[in-house]
Amino acid sequence: MGNPDQICVGAFSGSYGVNGEVRLKSFCADPEAIADYSPLTTEDGKLSYAITITRSIKGALVAKVEGITNKEMADDLKGLRLFARRDQLPALPDDEFYHADLIGLTVLDTGGTVLGKVHAVQNHGASDLLEIMPDADGNTILLPFTRDVVPTVDLTAGRIIADPPEGAI
Amino acid sequence: MARSVWKGPFVDSYVLKKAEASKESGRNEVIKIWSRRSTILPQFVGLTFGVYNGHKHIPVNVSEDMIGQKFGEYAPTRTYRGHAADKKAKRS
Repeated sequence: MGNPDQICVGAFSGSYGVNGEVRLKSFCADPEAIADYSPLTTEDGKLSYAITITRSIKGALVAKVEGITNKEMADDLKGLRLFARRDQLPALPDDEFYHADLIGLTVLDTGGTVLGKVHAVQNHGASDLLEIMPDADGNTILLPFTRDVVPTVDLTAGRIIADPPEGAI
Repeated sequence: MARSVWKGPFVDSYVLKKAEASKESGRNEVIKIWSRRSTILPQFVGLTFGVYNGHKHIPVNVSEDMIGQKFGEYAPTRTYRGHAADKKAKRS
């Protein structure tokens, strides 16, 4: 697992046209919000890129990157993942959490037994679901992310207290 | 073609029975169902169903705006994993 202070928000997927524009894949909830976190860095933090979105195309965005002036330079960026700092994300109201904050937290039941760690957060149209990976075997557990089922989320202590309903495990 | 109104919404009878039993018991439980084709009825609001997706039962908390949809719509059968990025989860 990478640095928890850095969050992958997008990736360069190649050049666009011949004027040094790049094709950018955004992983943000609102794709164009990726520009709000500019300048974005590489995973090691050594290189940074100031991006400006020029337009959106099917399945991607087209962006200008500071210092990239021709197609060859843009081609070299292909496949590079872009990271933002965690502190760049705006604060959220109570009962809202970034997926990046929830992933990796330890989940305990009300009796103190460890159920596993949060592996992913899913939403299939109903409520959000926490996908929990137990330490013992590979079968994940899905829990609805509701106040009844997940009464406590303690980000500072890195744990979640859950009261799984019958039949959920 | 849309379903005739006179027939009413389709629900597998065992889903209705299980939902009624769960409501009467008042227990906090996931009602495991395999019927993805059943329509979500107003009496299901507030219950949690475990809808089978061919692999496992996906918990579906029924809310008012889901009435009239089918259970299968909330339990996708294919896996898609995106990036967390700046996506948010709301505890309901």
